[in-house]
Amino acid sequence: MAYHSGYGAHGSKHRARAAPDPPPLFDDTSGGYSSQPGGYPAPGADVAFNVNHLLGDPMANVAMAYGSSIASHGKDMVHKELHRFVSVNKLKYFFAVDTAYVAKKLGLLVFPYTHQNWEVQYSRDVPLPPRQDLNAPDLYIPTMAFITYVLLAGMALGIQKRFSPEVLGLCASTALVWVVMEVLALLLGLYLATVRSDLSTFHLLAYSGYKYVGMILSVLTGLLFGSDGYYVALAWTSSALMYFIVRSLRTAALGPDSMGGPVPRQRLQLYLTLGAAAFQPLIIYWLTFHLVR
Amino acid sequence: MMQSQQPYTGQIFQPTQAYTPVTSQPLYGNSFEDEPPLLEELGINFDHIWQKTLTVLHPLKVADGSIMNETDLAGPMVFCLAFGATLLLAGKIQFGYVYGISAIGCLGMFCLLNLMSMTGVSFGCVASVLGYCLLPMILLSSFAVIFSLQGMIGIILTAGIIGWCSFSASKIFISALAMEGQQLLVAYPCALLYGVFALISVF
Repeated sequence: MAYHSGYGAHGSKHRARAAPDPPPLFDDTSGGYSSQPGGYPAPGADVAFNVNHLLGDPMANVAMAYGSSIASHGKDMVHKELHRFVSVNKLKYFFAVDTAYVAKKLGLLVFPYTHQNWEVQYSRDVPLPPRQDLNAPDLYIPTMAFITYVLLAGMALGIQKRFSPEVLGLCASTALVWVVMEVLALLLGLYLATVRSDLSTFHLLAYSGYKYVGMILSVLTGLLFGSDGYYVALAWTSSALMYFIVRSLRTAALGPDSMGGPVPRQRLQLYLTLGAAAFQPLIIYWLTFHLVR
Repeated sequence: MMQSQQPYTGQIFQPTQAYTPVTSQPLYGNSFEDEPPLLEELGINFDHIWQKTLTVLHPLKVADGSIMNETDLAGPMVFCLAFGATLLLAGKIQFGYVYGISAIGCLGMFCLLNLMSMTGVSFGCVASVLGYCLLPMILLSSFAVIFSLQGMIGIILTAGIIGWCSFSASKIFISALAMEGQQLLVAYPCALLYGVFALISVF
């Protein structure tokens, strides 16, 4: 594609490539045109002609080049700011999933009672990604479950003829606020109990996002089988989720070298885990009962 | 500075005077007949558009990973407008919802695919693939003009069309980004997005 450069700075660069010693063109561009012999005016001329023909305004080219440089500068700035807050590589660890892992994890969330080994496996002090370790937390399931929950809430309200787009936004922001508050409470508890563990914010986000799977199941059962079905599903998924959280966090909160720390601290960690687990059914009930009437 | 001072003759924009014929003509010449055709200059290639559409319409055909190398947004734009037009035929003036949902959906898929794949993906590629796979949804909404989709047949047809769209989209993404073992994982968010479009056409 022929790059049509304009007059002024870009034009002078173009001509500098074509001729060995071009005159600067800021002062007198007509002098630059007619003073050079041979083929020199030709590339400049049809550059001029094309610019004249296509845009009719040399300033537009300068403006376009300036605008594109501003755009790339803005994009770099956004990337830099984003990388300051969120480490994309750490986030990519949580999304390294495959279909077999997701299927097994969903089965585990519904029926965790027969699973034997809850330890997260490490290889040289680096936790294995979810593709290779069933016990590793991931963020794909919580994200998809959250979005599915919001859409399902919209559909449930639509069936009850109480739907409007504002309600959808309200549901989404309510659920998001509860997630953020729970993660902050867990972080505060871990900080106060001075637990030295591998649990980063993303881990806590993953574990508190797993309840959305239970919520979706409860709402679906409630829509299909009425209020009784909703309460039965609520009881089942709450107990399964509590068992899952307690078993997972008890080993994960201690880190790769377990049985560390004095006994009161371990008891504090256990209370923290039990408290977090007991909180889940309340949240599930609070966020879903108004959808199943 | 200047080699020779010339008085200003006021003949800058006189191309017939400044142009001297040289043997090596530039590719995009300076006369009206030598200009490239408009479609080529705009980058719209009908043959490629047709090939990509056929790839979408055959769900069982294996997709070639290189067809998404040039991101083409003209086809998806046409499909979005056609979708809005078929909705208009059914009496629903919802162009705003279609554009808003497609923008949010493309952004979400872009973030998700960048996190899930080894190689990154550009936003234009995501928008292009999702736009092309909207074609079966146009069939659904043109059905909705004639028949009502709120019966059992309508539900089955809607589920089938959503599955077709998301299967094609995930097939193209998988082959273009070389992600193995993740086709259902990519198909599920696509199914959610096309489910929202189907909700618009049904209700």
